[in-house]
Amino acid sequence: MNPIPLLPAADPAADFAYVHGQVINRGTFHAQVLTLAAALPAHPRVLNMCNDRYWFAVALFAAIARNMLTILPNSAAPEHLAAVASEQAGLLVLGDQAENPVPGLPYLQVDTLAARMELAAAPLPDIPYDQPVACLYTSGSTGTPMPHFKTFGRLRLAILAGAQRVWGAAGQACSVVGTVPIRHMYGLESSVLLPILAGGRLSGRIPFFPADIADALAQMPAPRLLVITPFHLRKLLDANIVLPPIAAILSATAPLSVELAAQTRQQLGCPVLEIYGSTETGQVATRETDVETTWHTLQGITLEQRDGELWAVGEVYQTPQMLNDTVELFSPQQFRLVDRKANMINVAGKRSSLSFLNAVLTGLPGVVDGVYCVPERGSDEVVERLAVFVVAPTLDRTAILAGLRQHLDSVFLPRHIVFVDALPRDGNGKILARTLQELIVRHLSGNH
Amino acid sequence: MEQHSSESNTPDLALESEIAGLIVSALNLDIAPAEIVPDAPLYGDELGIDSIDILEIALVMSKQYGVQMKADNEDNSTIFASLRKLAAYIREHRSK
Repeated sequence: MNPIPLLPAADPAADFAYVHGQVINRGTFHAQVLTLAAALPAHPRVLNMCNDRYWFAVALFAAIARNMLTILPNSAAPEHLAAVASEQAGLLVLGDQAENPVPGLPYLQVDTLAARMELAAAPLPDIPYDQPVACLYTSGSTGTPMPHFKTFGRLRLAILAGAQRVWGAAGQACSVVGTVPIRHMYGLESSVLLPILAGGRLSGRIPFFPADIADALAQMPAPRLLVITPFHLRKLLDANIVLPPIAAILSATAPLSVELAAQTRQQLGCPVLEIYGSTETGQVATRETDVETTWHTLQGITLEQRDGELWAVGEVYQTPQMLNDTVELFSPQQFRLVDRKANMINVAGKRSSLSFLNAVLTGLPGVVDGVYCVPERGSDEVVERLAVFVVAPTLDRTAILAGLRQHLDSVFLPRHIVFVDALPRDGNGKILARTLQELIVRHLSGNH
Repeated sequence: MEQHSSESNTPDLALESEIAGLIVSALNLDIAPAEIVPDAPLYGDELGIDSIDILEIALVMSKQYGVQMKADNEDNSTIFASLRKLAAYIREHRSK
């Protein structure tokens, strides 16, 4: 495969990024990337901790230009960062904050570097197709977060295939606003790489409150694409505030209900494209959830059933990637999702596995035994909240939460902590589902 | 309606207790509203409140008091620093 220029050919004067009320054109972005690339001290790997999406993008492409692998931790939990730092030697931290976000590692602040504008027209380096450019961490069904590597050429192909679908739904290339984490695959693909590699416009902001989302959208010209999770979308509709016209909405990380998709179309007048994918596969397929149950794979990706396993195949993958969900295949490009992987849990779009959470819980000093569970939701709760049963005679609620916080994203902290004298385990050391259900009924059902 | 009376620096205990009740019921917390210490951080280990909850609280505040929370215009961590800070912010910005 031929090497590919670092950035696509573009009019240097074309508006590209909206950062702190300023509009940055393609030429300035180009110059900024090359300025930082020239200034980066030699390190094999960088840890990109930028908060602003624009500076995240500058740091990412500068690292690619220098053949430095970008490491993207899946949370800022101190233990996870420490684990990443210990398995990724020679890390340089890049950030857009005055204070080093990962003390103990060398740090370079990237947003204080003025772009050398003479570089706006400088030639771009060609990047080998197979150059590893990003390492993301999966939630890890077996317990430990696992690194997963992406190469430049394949990542770019996947983005272009996605763009064809997404720009198609929106009518043309869009201004993109994303509320989702940029160090996770969904946010990286849809809110960072899509606008950069496929002619869109990028927002520096990661808006949180509904009014912030409205602002971020209004700052950019139409057509607009909103990249969001079902949980956040629900809250945005509930807020019932005035939004500028949106051409299309992307939803991923948790199942989108038909009702929410339909209500969005009715209230905002735009389609919601739901994305099926994972850290390992990236975006695989899409559907318009309120009008179809069938998923359509992106161009160049097909699904195959082999030896009872389901595989995603295509040039975007170095090797076929196994999918853990059960599907009914209508054709290599069309399928219906029958069942999602059982052990995985999803809190407001963030994924982890019960085995991982249980391992963290029982690994805390002072915890004799413990188990996570997912109590049935109350009718008014739109998001899953977790509970734990724990045997820990010397600890209190605060100590357990503080211990877990060291390892876990805060959405996985239990809402309810029930102290018990012992947990009934069977001969294999397992807590039976029936036993757990009895505990939930006895201790937690009063909450709903 | 904004209030600029001389009382604006004294905590509005009734409003604090009302907001505490809204938070506990919206988040289905394991505690009684009165157990939320007005000066203690809302975020963090004590209540186990996270960013999802903050979004939930923001929605309740907008429905109840007509206040749209914004991360950009105001220092978010200040508003949610404690029940007392949140109540003071609501008192200043409420439209209903």
